[in-house]
Amino acid sequence: MAEKKVYSKLGELLAKGEFILTGELEPEKTCDLSHTIQEAKEMAPYVVAANVTDSPLGIVTINSMAASHIIQKETGLECIWQLTVRDVNKLGIAGMIMGAHALGIRNILSLTGDHPNLGDMPETKPVFDLDSATLVKLVREMVDTGKINGHEIEHPPTMHVGAAANPNANPMEAEVLKIGRKAEAGAEFIQTQVVYDLDMTIEFLRAIQKYKVPVFLGIFPMKSYGIAKGFDMFVPGVDVPKDILAKWKSVKTDVSDKKEQKDVYDRLNYEFFKPFISELKKKGLLAGIHCMAVHYTRIFPKLVEVVKA
Amino acid sequence: MVVITTKKPVDEVLNVLKENNVKKIFIVSCGVCAALCQTGGEDGLNEWKEILEKEGFEIVNGLVVDDVCDNREMAKVLRKNSEDIEKIDAFVTLSCGLGVQSIVETTSKKYPSMKVFVTNNTEFMGMTERIGRFYMRCLGCGDCLLNETGGICPITTCAKALMNGPCGGMVDGKCEVGNYERDCGWVLIYNRLKAIDRLDLFSKLRDARDWSESGHQREVVFR
Repeated sequence: MAEKKVYSKLGELLAKGEFILTGELEPEKTCDLSHTIQEAKEMAPYVVAANVTDSPLGIVTINSMAASHIIQKETGLECIWQLTVRDVNKLGIAGMIMGAHALGIRNILSLTGDHPNLGDMPETKPVFDLDSATLVKLVREMVDTGKINGHEIEHPPTMHVGAAANPNANPMEAEVLKIGRKAEAGAEFIQTQVVYDLDMTIEFLRAIQKYKVPVFLGIFPMKSYGIAKGFDMFVPGVDVPKDILAKWKSVKTDVSDKKEQKDVYDRLNYEFFKPFISELKKKGLLAGIHCMAVHYTRIFPKLVEVVKA
Repeated sequence: MVVITTKKPVDEVLNVLKENNVKKIFIVSCGVCAALCQTGGEDGLNEWKEILEKEGFEIVNGLVVDDVCDNREMAKVLRKNSEDIEKIDAFVTLSCGLGVQSIVETTSKKYPSMKVFVTNNTEFMGMTERIGRFYMRCLGCGDCLLNETGGICPITTCAKALMNGPCGGMVDGKCEVGNYERDCGWVLIYNRLKAIDRLDLFSKLRDARDWSESGHQREVVFR
């Protein structure tokens, strides 16, 4: 078998089989990225790379390719450029992939994207010319063959491409078979939706093991009771377990000192995620952890402990 | 198959007639699809006669016509009613967009300045559950996948028309568009293919749709 080509730090560590921690950055509706850059600087010592979101929930933000480039340039933190197929057709996306390479982006996460109807520009035309699997296929064609539709690219892009998976999906088998398609398309890594249910996660990860794609488990450490409650109420398909919500609520009501409150939340996250992740690691089901808790960079030193444990 | 139509707001239609200085009108009401949708037929004709007369328009003639969208049928109607057509400023049609354009195409040679206006919005090519419940199940994309998807069309039942669903917007078999009330098309397809023991078809990686032959200006001409 030909040696796997490596185009990024993420690709390099994946090839070595190291357990990886990645973070997430969510640029907002702004042309000034200083807040995101600050967060990137805070998480940079702890993570291998960070996802840069592409107008999540269909709410328009600064372009994720531009943001990825600027974050990399300003902080040195490697980015995983999230690209949805929602807004641009195949022709446009192929051009963006070349543009992204020229801007130094070496990782891309292929996503369908939330429908514009959900966001703040519902009147816009939903594109979805490609889907998350055919985008993976397009990237791999451009990178591996140096061609698009059989036409030579003078200087082809080089980048790694990943895809998403949802262990909470019901029916689960439909999701598992879909991951099979993404694997066939050439996905080099999978990042999962946030999970809290260990048994279901094990069942899902075992079911997709046959596709032999390294999996990053999506986790969402909760910074406060408000965040936990909001996540439980507003993120469709993911329920925060009741006992966790109760624990987080008790911190809010019982601990009056703000500094102490923060410490307790951090400790509770650590205590929940440590056994959760260690169980999955022990079973050999994970290649890494993808932490989606944006604006909660202070948790990373503790997360690194969890990941290394 | 029915072309599903809904009524435009009355004021929108009245305003456009006034803007165009229309005084004398010939109403053509579709007796097939629009009649079924209660946007045409005999009832629609009477309703619009009353509305327009009340607003001071003169109704020179009004007819219910089967197949307003068939140029042959419309040509016949025009021939038989040529005297009335000489007197009017405009046709008002209670039909889908095809009916409007059939009238434009069949009249424009003999009456190049004839105006044609429509009272309906054309929604989609629909399947009828019962009167008043119509569903888009086919987009006429020109490259039918139904033999591979258990007879359920992903182009119309998936809100994103994905070729490789379901997407992350599916929760418990429901779609993120419309507040999780509608079924996810790809879960419907999964259930059907499972029932007919063809999950191999569900597992298939499908290429993006080829739009080179199925965009706009489409024609079927075979003789």
